[in-house]
This record gives sequence, C-alpha cells and structure tokens, in this order.
Amino acid sequence: MKRTGYLHDNRYLLHDTGPYHPEMADRLIAVYNGIKEAGLLDQLTLIPAVRADLKWIETVHDPKYIRRFEEVCLSGNRTFDYPDNQMCVDTYETAYLAVGGILDTARRIMEGELDNAFCAVRPPGHHAERDQAMGFCYFNNVAIAARYLQMEHGIQRVGIIDSDVHHGNGTQHIFEKDPTVFYYSIHQHPSFSFPGTGREFEEGAGDGQGFTKNSLVLPGQGDDVYEQLILSDLLPAFERFKPEVIIVSTGFDGHRDDDMSDVNLSTEGYSWILENIMKLGNQYAAGRVISVLEGGYCLDRLGELATNHVRILLNG
Amino acid sequence: MFVSRSMVSQVITIDKDASVFEAQEKMAANGIRHLPVVEADNRLIGIVTDRDIRSVMPYSLIKEKGIAREREKLAHLKVADIMTRNPKTISPMYTIQDALLMIQKEKVGAFPVVDDKGELQGILSVRDLLRAFINVLGIGQPGTLVGIEVEEKIGQMKKIVDAITEENISFGSVLVARTWDEGKRAVFPYLLTNNVSKVKKKLSTMGYKLINPMDWYLDRLPKKQ
Repeated sequence: MKRTGYLHDNRYLLHDTGPYHPEMADRLIAVYNGIKEAGLLDQLTLIPAVRADLKWIETVHDPKYIRRFEEVCLSGNRTFDYPDNQMCVDTYETAYLAVGGILDTARRIMEGELDNAFCAVRPPGHHAERDQAMGFCYFNNVAIAARYLQMEHGIQRVGIIDSDVHHGNGTQHIFEKDPTVFYYSIHQHPSFSFPGTGREFEEGAGDGQGFTKNSLVLPGQGDDVYEQLILSDLLPAFERFKPEVIIVSTGFDGHRDDDMSDVNLSTEGYSWILENIMKLGNQYAAGRVISVLEGGYCLDRLGELATNHVRILLNG
Repeated sequence: MFVSRSMVSQVITIDKDASVFEAQEKMAANGIRHLPVVEADNRLIGIVTDRDIRSVMPYSLIKEKGIAREREKLAHLKVADIMTRNPKTISPMYTIQDALLMIQKEKVGAFPVVDDKGELQGILSVRDLLRAFINVLGIGQPGTLVGIEVEEKIGQMKKIVDAITEENISFGSVLVARTWDEGKRAVFPYLLTNNVSKVKKKLSTMGYKLINPMDWYLDRLPKKQ
C-alpha cells in the first residue's frame, strides 16, 4: 500500500459563497464523510493546510491582481471580477491556505515522506487566469504547484491532467507557450459548456506548440468516449512528454448525477480514469501523482467518488 | 452597425498596369485575397482576386515560382487584363446586415467600400463580418449556452429574460433560431456564468422545455419537397 496524503482542513470551509451557490463548503464535508465512513482515514496521512508564501503565488499571478483580490475581499465585497465568483471576507486567506496546503503536500512527496496525495481544497483554481478570477477560482492552485515543483525541487517536466468537465482556461493560458508543462484536458465541448475555451485546435503556442491537448466530449456521452479519448490522446502525449510529476486537476462534475454538465460519466468511469493516470504516474513519474480538487457539485455522489479516488491512490 | 465601423480602411491596392506577378506577391506578402484596383485619384476601377490570378496561371507556376520560360509567357499580362471591372461595391453607410445579405447573394468574398464620388474608402471581407459575428455571439467571454423551446407568440422572451435576470446572471447574447418546428422558436441565451443548473431548473418549473444540447441548431436548410 502507498503512503497517500489527504489534504483536508476545516478552514477551507470558511470561504462562504452565499446561498444557492454550487461551490459550497458542504462539498468538502461530503468528501470527508465519504472517506471517513469507508474507514479509510486511518490509512491516509492527514495533512493540515498551511499559508502559502506570496512568492510562489507571484510565479503565476500578476502582483497587481493579487493586491486587487486582497482589497476587494477585505473591503467586504461579495463578488470579484464576475458575479459567479461569490466570496466573503475570509476568501482571500482561504485561497492562500489552498495554495499553501498543496505546496506543502508537494514538498512531502518530493522529500519522500509520501508517495501521492489527494488535496481536497477550496476555492478551486483551474479557471483563474494570471490577472483575473473566473468560474469560482481565484488562485490557480495547480499552476502554482507546477512552478513550485520546477523552481524548488528541480523538476523539469510537469504533466497536468485536467479531468474537470469544464476546460481549465487559466491553466492552459498560463502554460500555453511553455514546453516544460504539458496541459491535457478532457471536458465537455466548449460550445455546450463554460467557459467556451479548450477547443480541439488549441494546441499551445510558440515554444509551447504541441504541449497543450484538449479532448472533447459531447453532451450525453460518457465512459466509453472518455476511455477512447484518454487512450488515443492522453497516453501517447504523455509517453512522448515523460512527465516527472503528474498533477491532476480533479473535477467530479462530469458525473451523470451532477447537473453542472450534460456529460454522463459513471462512478466506475471516474475510477477507470484515475487508474490509468496512476499507470502513467508509475511509468514516468515514480508514482508522484498529486490530485487537486477542482469542481464536483453533486453532494450525494462526492463521498463515493472521493472514496474511490483515495482508494486508487492507496493502491498506487 | 455601419460598414464604415467594421471595414479595413488602410486598403492595400494595386495599379491596373502592374503585372500579375506583382499582384500575386502583394497578396502573399499581406496575407490577403483581394486587391482593389484604383486610378491615381483613388477612384475604384476594378478588383483582382487570388482566384483571378490562379485561373490564368498554369499549376506549375503556382506550385513553384521558378520556371523562367513559363514566367516570361505571362510577364506581359497586366492586372487590367484579368481584373473584374466595375465590381459590386458597397457604401460606407451600408449596414452589416446589408453586407451579410449581399455577400450571400453575390457569392463574393469581399466588397470594396466606395463613397458617392466613386473613391475607395475601405474593403469589407468575410473575415471582417466573422469578427463582427463573433462579437455579437459573445463567445469571446466565458459563458454557457442554454437552449429553450418556446411557443411562437408575443411575450415569451420577456418571461425568459426576467427569470434569468432574477438570478443575477448577465447575457452575452440571445439568439433565436427561426427555422424550428412549426409554431415554435428556439431561444439560445448565452449566459455569462458557470452556474446554469439553478436557472435551468427554474425554467423547467415555469413550463419551458429545455432543448437537448445534441439537438441544438441555429440554422436548418429548408426541407426538400
């Protein structure tokens, strides 16, 4: 059995998105309860959040944006940049804790204390652009983690796999000219889904041409199409790229019971995806797989999905 | 909505006495397919397109520009010999709608824009219209498209817009497909949000039918009899 970290902290619940917002604190409670009821807590290494050092956030975000986020948040505004981005006075600090917890988890993996990990954080990150909050995201957690691994731990090639049903526009844009970070995303076709980017012809730019890959799933499609696309698009791409660490932007919102998309992945489909990511991780990245939570809004399903998720990480 | 706001004003033109090779190189260098032909006083007398050039050149010359003998044969050929004289033009005060309908009718790729003195003011190509259309669709901004089937009667749109506005969601665009089933219209609000599940439930509760995304279309060709 692998040494799997589980980043969980009640302070992640402090980011209050108000009534009727799908990205709510209850999501993390559902994740925690699911893992606990399955009796897996004892097998996992529970990791508490720590506050990120600003210098790491600045490797991805414009300092002016960070200051603007702080000002807007602390002055009591309920939204930032778009009405979607509901927040409270604790949001800015919670976003720091999300980044810091992930970086500390990455450190533990790099120092050999852990093999892999699931980081159940809020707020999510993959829509956040260098200088703009978007789609419930403020700091791009996985992008900052990729930069941290490169700058602090000498990792040259980071592979990011984004399984959220929405395209991670922020992550793609941050790395689109960078051949040292491969961004792979599989999501609902952008003509049918937020945010409208991640089209098939977006494949990176400049030196990063060929280091971005988007696989598109149509409304109503599910497990078989995901399997087909991951085999035909992701596996060969990572075989060529040979990532030294894999970061997964994990979104459970492609589940058939999640009403944030029209995609019909089953619980078993989600397991299949992570099992195949683990194979890639074992083959190229010495098993170093860091899974970071993005979306997933069906409270009735999050428990079982997260349980299967950490079980697969434990099995390596 | 006027052509003058969407056209390209810095037009790359060519002289009627220029050679076809000159025209070909000018197009390639600027990545364009249409060259208005003007007199010294900027009066439009014709237009030459990459198709006009291709149709007078043997394939070997387009493919590899080298062969000297072939080139010589065509060296005497001037723009004036191959251009379309008195092409269809539009006025800067035409609207984008005029231009869209005219481009469909005339089956051309671009219109020279000419004022009432006959002087060239700009050029409007399919590319410019596409840019305007992308802007109108709102798809440059993050959002989610929703499809709603409604009865073809007055007041439907207001109810939909009110229901969405109450949720504090802004609109990137609203499209209406007119060639839907008999007595129905399809309304496609492009909503600037990631959070459409609540508003979708609300519209269903109000009695609207949400259209399966796989059945969405904005345009349907008339059925053949």
